[in-house]
Amino acid sequence: MPRASAPSKRAPSLKLAPPVARRPTPVALLPQPLVERLLAVAMERGGDFAEVYVERTLTTAVRLEESRIKSAQTGLVQGVGVRVISGGKVGYAFSDDWDEAALLRAASTAAMIAQGGGAERSFPVRRAAVPSHYHVSPPLMDVEVSLKTGLLMRADKAARAFDARVKQVNGGYVDQTRRIAVANTHGRYTEDTQDLCRISVMVVAQGKGGERRTGMYGGGGRVPFSHWDTFSPEDVAREAARQAVATLGAVDCVAGPQTVVLAPGWSGILLHEAVGHGLEADFIRKGTSLFAGKLGEKVASDLVTIIDDGTVSSGRGSINIDDEGNPGERKVLIENGVLKGYLYDSLNAQLMGQRSTGSGRRESFKHLPMPRMTNTFLAPGDHAPEDILKEVKRGLYCATFGGGQVDITNGNFVFEVSEAYQIEDGKLGRPVKNATLIGVGPEALKNVSRVGCDPMPDPGMGVCGKNGQSMPVGVGLPTVRIDNITVGGTKVA
Amino acid sequence: MDYQQLAKRIVQRARRKGARQAEAFLEVGRQSSVRVHQGQIEDLTQSTSKGVGVRVVLKDRLGFAYTSDFEPSAVDHIVDQALKLAEFSAPSKLNGLPSGKDLGRFGDTGLLFDTKVAELPGDWKIKTALEVEKAARAEDSRIIAFNGVGAGDYVSEVYMASTEGVTGAYSGTYVYLYAAPVASDGTGLQTGYWMDYRRFLDDLDGPESIGREASRRAVRMLGAKRVKTQQVPVLFDPQVAASFVSDVAGAADGNAVYQKASLLAPLLGKRLAGAHVTLVDDGLMPRGLATAPFDGEGVPTRRTPIIEQGVLKSFLYDAFTARKAKARTTGNASRSYNGLPSIGTSNLYLEAGTKSPEELLREVDSGFYVTALLGHGTDPVTGELSAGANGLWIEKGELTHPVQEVTVAGNLLQMLKDLDGVGSDLQFRSGAVGAPTVRFRQLTVSGE
Repeated sequence: MPRASAPSKRAPSLKLAPPVARRPTPVALLPQPLVERLLAVAMERGGDFAEVYVERTLTTAVRLEESRIKSAQTGLVQGVGVRVISGGKVGYAFSDDWDEAALLRAASTAAMIAQGGGAERSFPVRRAAVPSHYHVSPPLMDVEVSLKTGLLMRADKAARAFDARVKQVNGGYVDQTRRIAVANTHGRYTEDTQDLCRISVMVVAQGKGGERRTGMYGGGGRVPFSHWDTFSPEDVAREAARQAVATLGAVDCVAGPQTVVLAPGWSGILLHEAVGHGLEADFIRKGTSLFAGKLGEKVASDLVTIIDDGTVSSGRGSINIDDEGNPGERKVLIENGVLKGYLYDSLNAQLMGQRSTGSGRRESFKHLPMPRMTNTFLAPGDHAPEDILKEVKRGLYCATFGGGQVDITNGNFVFEVSEAYQIEDGKLGRPVKNATLIGVGPEALKNVSRVGCDPMPDPGMGVCGKNGQSMPVGVGLPTVRIDNITVGGTKVA
Repeated sequence: MDYQQLAKRIVQRARRKGARQAEAFLEVGRQSSVRVHQGQIEDLTQSTSKGVGVRVVLKDRLGFAYTSDFEPSAVDHIVDQALKLAEFSAPSKLNGLPSGKDLGRFGDTGLLFDTKVAELPGDWKIKTALEVEKAARAEDSRIIAFNGVGAGDYVSEVYMASTEGVTGAYSGTYVYLYAAPVASDGTGLQTGYWMDYRRFLDDLDGPESIGREASRRAVRMLGAKRVKTQQVPVLFDPQVAASFVSDVAGAADGNAVYQKASLLAPLLGKRLAGAHVTLVDDGLMPRGLATAPFDGEGVPTRRTPIIEQGVLKSFLYDAFTARKAKARTTGNASRSYNGLPSIGTSNLYLEAGTKSPEELLREVDSGFYVTALLGHGTDPVTGELSAGANGLWIEKGELTHPVQEVTVAGNLLQMLKDLDGVGSDLQFRSGAVGAPTVRFRQLTVSGE
């Protein structure tokens, strides 16, 4: 079942940038004649379509434990995947050997999905321009490792200085420079360089009687290393420490339906789970999502407009091209409560008579693409966030989330609340522990009764899992009130 | 290519370039899988993959690098890279590869490799997956679609070498079948999931039984509704129980314990549960999916009781954490080539009890039988569990109507104390973690 994880809250605001033509990358990942040869071999049994996906990813990761850099590592993973489509059937083969014989073998293996034979045809490709929603220079792989370890040392110091009750700090920094090239038998050849980085800090605080609470925070995106000058590791660490300390002394959560107010930012995971996955075209085509066949229907309150936007400048989930070579797009999924569209990759689009929305993503060359989200936002409303809280007599304020998961078929989703407070007469009361929200997508969205005017993207922490493939995603949400949603807890009123 | 030789060459190069200690962990795999949809192939994937990770210790500092490229220049490059990266980590006298008393003779794993799986013809998977789909459809006319039906196999090889005398290799096979049908009653949709995952073809459930059981599990959820918020006895079916068992083992992670980030840290030797509760990690379990002669750093695997007859007996360690905690490694360094070893379980299971699942049910007047959990499980620091749950309501010892959109909540330590029934139906359904049906005296169910 699709699930998302990782925490977060505040963030630097993300701006929209106009797409501009990207300067061509100097060296091709694979020589164009070889790419064309692979396409020809892939089609030799009479497939309808073939695609060659080339990837080379360099990763650097640093970990901090007990105030020391525990490890620093780098790695290279590279490979080529060949996909052939024949009458709706897909053949896929990949190789992490780059020698020509191994690549040709992969192309012939994928070709076998088609049963025919016939003359070899040629499939010339032409390089297409791609938009530029991010451009990281210098590439993160070229940044000195000592600067990366330095971030974590600073985070550790700031977290420990925040409060004497902070007992443990674990930090992680990871970046990757991922170069991809996609060529297909429609003659389209595209390349993109997708740098991505993230810092994360986990803090354990100890209170009276040995009580322990954790806080987690982090962020990043498709940003240059200078991002950390403004989004500082100290701020990240202090926020993680604040969460851990603030939740010491939390009381048991009362189980049952309540009015809840969601803090802006990472709470956007609600949309990701409650709606987003259910709108992915693979589930729609097979009729296994409860949103199948509901286009044009009212599926949420009037206040709800949801957008999936792969074009956000430097966003964690942003893509100049998806992993099928189509440009990232901004798609309105739900407008004023009415279901407007689904998320399509090219295969499902073709089988359903639609066009790709640039949503075909894959974890690596080892995987087939499928429809995925990019950055998913709830459009702002016109309620002042203070008023939203003030109006609630009794309820639960959900400040920080651990993650969520959805069953796209029955629509049940959960939303794990790692920092929550009782609301009493419009004010925040005591912290509450062990709360989880559960709902059924459309019903929960119909109960959205207030949407704040304070849109906020998450700081760039989200990892979305679907069918065993992990993808970086962004989410965002203003302050929101939901009436009558079931809150899981240990205490019975 | 002689991979054992390559691993040795990497170690020798690292040594020559100044590493005090060095280790190479190399993996090679070949996999193929098929998914079917409406009586046709949906997709067919075949591939080979490989990679090697190099860990070095230099002036008490640790460096690590990996690559999937086995060209000599690429391999040389990562050795140099690992040595260079060591400069950026903090020196510690405790850094070091397992050596001397940590190493030794590998235990008896039994067979890990099934030539029948390694030589499975490509069309076996297609034919079998189609049979799964057909059986699932035939089971009930309310099955209208599938979230996925498929089959696959995997052949893997692992090679290791180190300056401390580790040298070893093993290879294994895996084969699996699964189905996720969707049932409709005209008003709502429900899904079911059933699978089997084995090393040996002869151990694998047939396509008929996988398909039918998946459909049965989808159909029985039709009409699911919330129940009132209440505290009642709760049963976890074997798959849900397996996730609970993983959470308990997660809290026994020696590194979390050392950092006092586990609620089990102060409880070694203490009674956590009744004498009917025994939780074991066994790296040598016959035919186990995670069975291997050595762990991710060449240490012989073994059987480690975590909880024995209700008493917390042992935490799980790799060599580095054991050195820090003044304990012995339990051979639980888990890894793939592209990461440093970290503590993980091998074959993990809760030992079977004596009562059948039906008997455990019969003793419940009113309660909840959980068949799926949503969420990330128990927090290892606090032990808190608060998760979405689907399942069936129990009245007077019988399963009655399906339940959804509720949560179950409790605390791991209290749940262990309240674990008042362990079924006789231990199974390893979807991986290397096994459990029978379990019953908790009381959990909070949150609903209407």
